[in-house]
Amino acid sequence: MPLNNTNIVSGAQTKFGALKGISLREMFAEAVDKATADAGIPKEDIQAAFIGTFIPEMLVHQGHTAPLLLDFAGLKGIPATRHEAACASGATALRAGIMAIESGLYDTVLVAGAEKMTSVSTNKVTEALAAAADDDFESAVGLTFPGVFGMAAVAHMDKYGTTEEDMARVAVKAHKNGAKNPLAQFQKEITLEKAMTPRYIAWPLKLFDCSPISDGAAALVLTSNEKAKEYTDLPVKIVGTGQASASMNLCDRDQLASFEASVKASRAAYEMAGLSPKDMDFAVVHDCFTIAEIIASEDIGFFEPGTGAKAVEDGITAMDGDKPINPMGGLKAVGHPVGATGVKQAVVIYRELIGDAGANQIPKHDVGLMHNFGGTGATCVVNIMRRSDA
Amino acid sequence: MNDESKPTVEAYKQYIESEDFHAYKCVDCGAVIAPPSGTCYACGSNKMEWTTVKGTGKLVAFTVIHIAPEAFKAEAPYYVGIIELDEGTRITGRLKGFDTNHPEEVSLGSRVVLDYEHGESGNTYLAFRPE
Repeated sequence: MPLNNTNIVSGAQTKFGALKGISLREMFAEAVDKATADAGIPKEDIQAAFIGTFIPEMLVHQGHTAPLLLDFAGLKGIPATRHEAACASGATALRAGIMAIESGLYDTVLVAGAEKMTSVSTNKVTEALAAAADDDFESAVGLTFPGVFGMAAVAHMDKYGTTEEDMARVAVKAHKNGAKNPLAQFQKEITLEKAMTPRYIAWPLKLFDCSPISDGAAALVLTSNEKAKEYTDLPVKIVGTGQASASMNLCDRDQLASFEASVKASRAAYEMAGLSPKDMDFAVVHDCFTIAEIIASEDIGFFEPGTGAKAVEDGITAMDGDKPINPMGGLKAVGHPVGATGVKQAVVIYRELIGDAGANQIPKHDVGLMHNFGGTGATCVVNIMRRSDA
Repeated sequence: MNDESKPTVEAYKQYIESEDFHAYKCVDCGAVIAPPSGTCYACGSNKMEWTTVKGTGKLVAFTVIHIAPEAFKAEAPYYVGIIELDEGTRITGRLKGFDTNHPEEVSLGSRVVLDYEHGESGNTYLAFRPE
């Protein structure tokens, strides 16, 4: 049965990028203010908060972030819980918010995420991110996140003939979309030649195959059908949600050219929504690396396994294609402040669905899917959303 | 089997450190399991014992790490790969004896054999080299 009581009534993000001089709590409060007071939703209406942060302990030496962030944002006192699932932290916070509304426990809740990553060195960030893999058995030999996706790329190349140029095309598309998005970290188009610059991070992944290290925050307000009318004439309904887990160790997977948690989570979301991939107008997928977008587009059933790269080449996933993917620029161009990402993805879907995506508005925008992926793919969350009048 | 011989993660890591790799083996169905799992992937049993392996297998995936975490910075660039041991289990380790400048020459399915590598971090890693 489709979910029937969860509505998104506002959503906002800060600019993503190296936000020099702006702390975790300040960027969080900015996103919350934009999604509440600035959107005509009084903070007093928020009954509980679900917060995604990944690893502020290592990045800014701060744990117990939910009450800290809420206090600074003027929401002290309400139940505040942090959700951590590596890069899927934001979407697991969102799922908790969905469950809170669907259960009837609350009418109106805040879902938000934030990460401050640029105050430490790249090697330190790499080390922090590596903590999202199995420390004893994979991180211990020096495997990194680019390395995880480098191995997935090698498997996909071997199985389907995918090339480095195929991956570079994803980066070119991301930058093309990001160039129109004033909140993106990179607002500049790049050529295929530039994307192919042989500066390897984890072979075969090069600099332009990787999402950047970013700061940023995003926030959403979820509310019941009853209350939604008080805030907007055009709420977005969350009609399906799915989450799955898989082995932390990449070596324990039968298959590296596909992520089983993405397949499971998307099938669960489609089943709940009573919809199929052909019903989706567009998707926002977790393109932490270019190969991740190609694989995700196959795993969520938009394209047959092995044909994701061709769909990019044929322009099918471009903003004006039949199945736009990451129309605002994705993690690749907009940035990837880990805990904020899953929430930001939902904000993008919300804005596209209500026709508020500015220069990044896609022509057909009734139903959209978001895919948020954590760590080695050990967590995946997929949500399907539909504009209430569609 | 007494409790002291019951495999533990700590002892598994110690075996690698001592260059004497041991894998887990499911007491009930005989499946060889490495890295350790509390539950057998094949039959669901939680009864494990130690076993040794031939150390031979084939390469199923690999990458060359150029940007490394702090602890491994001095060792970069280096290979990390996933190896399917002839006993059937898959394990992640370093690759030795492959040119980091020419990963395009490395073929999946290549035969490799167990070895060890001493990192500048002071730890010993599970590693594999061409058979």
